[in-house]
Amino acid sequence: MMISWKRVNAILQKDFKDFSRNLAVSSVIFVPIILGAFYGRMGVESIETHFLLINMTFAMVAAFVQCCLIAEEKEKNTLRGLMLSPASTADILGGKSLLTFIMTMVVVFFTAFLAEYKPANIAIITLAVILSSFFYIALGTMLGLYSKSVLEASVIVMPVIIVFSLGSFITLVVEKYPILQVVTYLPNIQLIDLATKVEAGAGFGDVLVEFAIILGWVIAAVILTVIIFRKRMVD
Amino acid sequence: MENIIEVSSLAKVFGNQTAIESVDFRVKKGEIFGFLGPSGSGKTTTIKILTGQLTPTSGTAKVFGESVSQLKNSEYRKRFGVLTDNSGLYGRLSIYDNLKLYCDLYDVPLSKIDEVLDAVNLKQEKSKKVSTLSKGMTQRVTLARALIHEPELLFLDEPTSALDPTNSLHIHDGLRALNEKGTTIFLTTHDMQEAETLCDRVAFLNNGKIQLLDTPDKLRKSYSDSTITVELTNEEKVILPAGSEGANQLFNYMNTNQVVTIHSNELTLGEIFVQVTGRKLA
Repeated sequence: MMISWKRVNAILQKDFKDFSRNLAVSSVIFVPIILGAFYGRMGVESIETHFLLINMTFAMVAAFVQCCLIAEEKEKNTLRGLMLSPASTADILGGKSLLTFIMTMVVVFFTAFLAEYKPANIAIITLAVILSSFFYIALGTMLGLYSKSVLEASVIVMPVIIVFSLGSFITLVVEKYPILQVVTYLPNIQLIDLATKVEAGAGFGDVLVEFAIILGWVIAAVILTVIIFRKRMVD
Repeated sequence: MENIIEVSSLAKVFGNQTAIESVDFRVKKGEIFGFLGPSGSGKTTTIKILTGQLTPTSGTAKVFGESVSQLKNSEYRKRFGVLTDNSGLYGRLSIYDNLKLYCDLYDVPLSKIDEVLDAVNLKQEKSKKVSTLSKGMTQRVTLARALIHEPELLFLDEPTSALDPTNSLHIHDGLRALNEKGTTIFLTTHDMQEAETLCDRVAFLNNGKIQLLDTPDKLRKSYSDSTITVELTNEEKVILPAGSEGANQLFNYMNTNQVVTIHSNELTLGEIFVQVTGRKLA
């Protein structure tokens, strides 16, 4: 699949201008940062709490914002304009995802900084955060492609925010309800497991399983997104 | 002359509703081809098939000699432009920013923006936000966007439907100039006046089928009754038949200085459409 940086950059620049004037969606990115500042001042230091904020950033910024951006393009029929242009699927999806990716990384950084999270191994955690963000951006794109309007998108994405932000609480009752064991394979729980191991001194080789599971989710989400996008190219 | 669009036995069915059926036509390179019909006759469906936005149920459609499924290739997409009834512009961005995006996507220099805005009479408004524009101005920006890469083939779906007569004329001039440079134009409209002034050939589409296809001149001639209307000084209007009888009567009126105006009674395309299909255009 060919990718043109010029076209990706054109879509990124357009998205940046459009997003910065869309206060209804852009204001959402401040929620995790504000919560991070509160948690930091409250002196909360557990990994679960830090990753509650980071997973919330993924759900609210990577998934919700991306979902709304894509849904608005569909609602206003601008996505069809991009699809009819020489931009390839990779150009469009890359361009549409790049702004969300940059914002997610910036918000994760500031949220973690304000919550005073200091990872034991910053390289592993950074890699895991980047990998996880791909999954949430792909999920947001998929949901946006399914939505007919921004309003519908903001409803559809709610379960995602609940499951992936607060889903880690489910692990507290997994022993009581074994069927919920499946939830532990979700990327948000895997990220918490990975961070917990890293905090206990684990190296890259000790968290390969968690990385592999998150990567599996990323690959599945990206493949599904490309399939759905290509289906949406024709009525 | 080389065909740029070739359509054979094309059909599209949505559920149990047939949008178009047995549609056959060719569009020659360099011509302005009008696809005329009332709302719901299948014009937009045909454009969507020809631009790869819809898959036909049966039949074949070729553009640039290739099946429309090939239009997914970015090299083909550079060769055509589309203006649809839905603007597809970014409302929070300025006219300039909207066009800049498409310059970058089509690899066109930014200097082209002023040129196309001049063609649609919007050069002075380029910093205005699209959401603040009237429907007619929005339509002109959409047209500017379709023209920005000087496509070989331009699909226009009701291009002047939201425009006032002055701006429609301005757009018609722009389209003629583009056509003179070699762009083939496939135009759908229900405005027969527009079709008469712009199109080299027209096809009448009704209930998903092509009823007539020819040049506007030939259609008018073949449906003309060859009579003339003479307006006399006493304000009476007399219809004179063709042949020597009518010629003698006209000679008498002229000889006695009674003639104010003489009009041929050719039917307009709109009247021919109504005669052929029994439907009015709307």
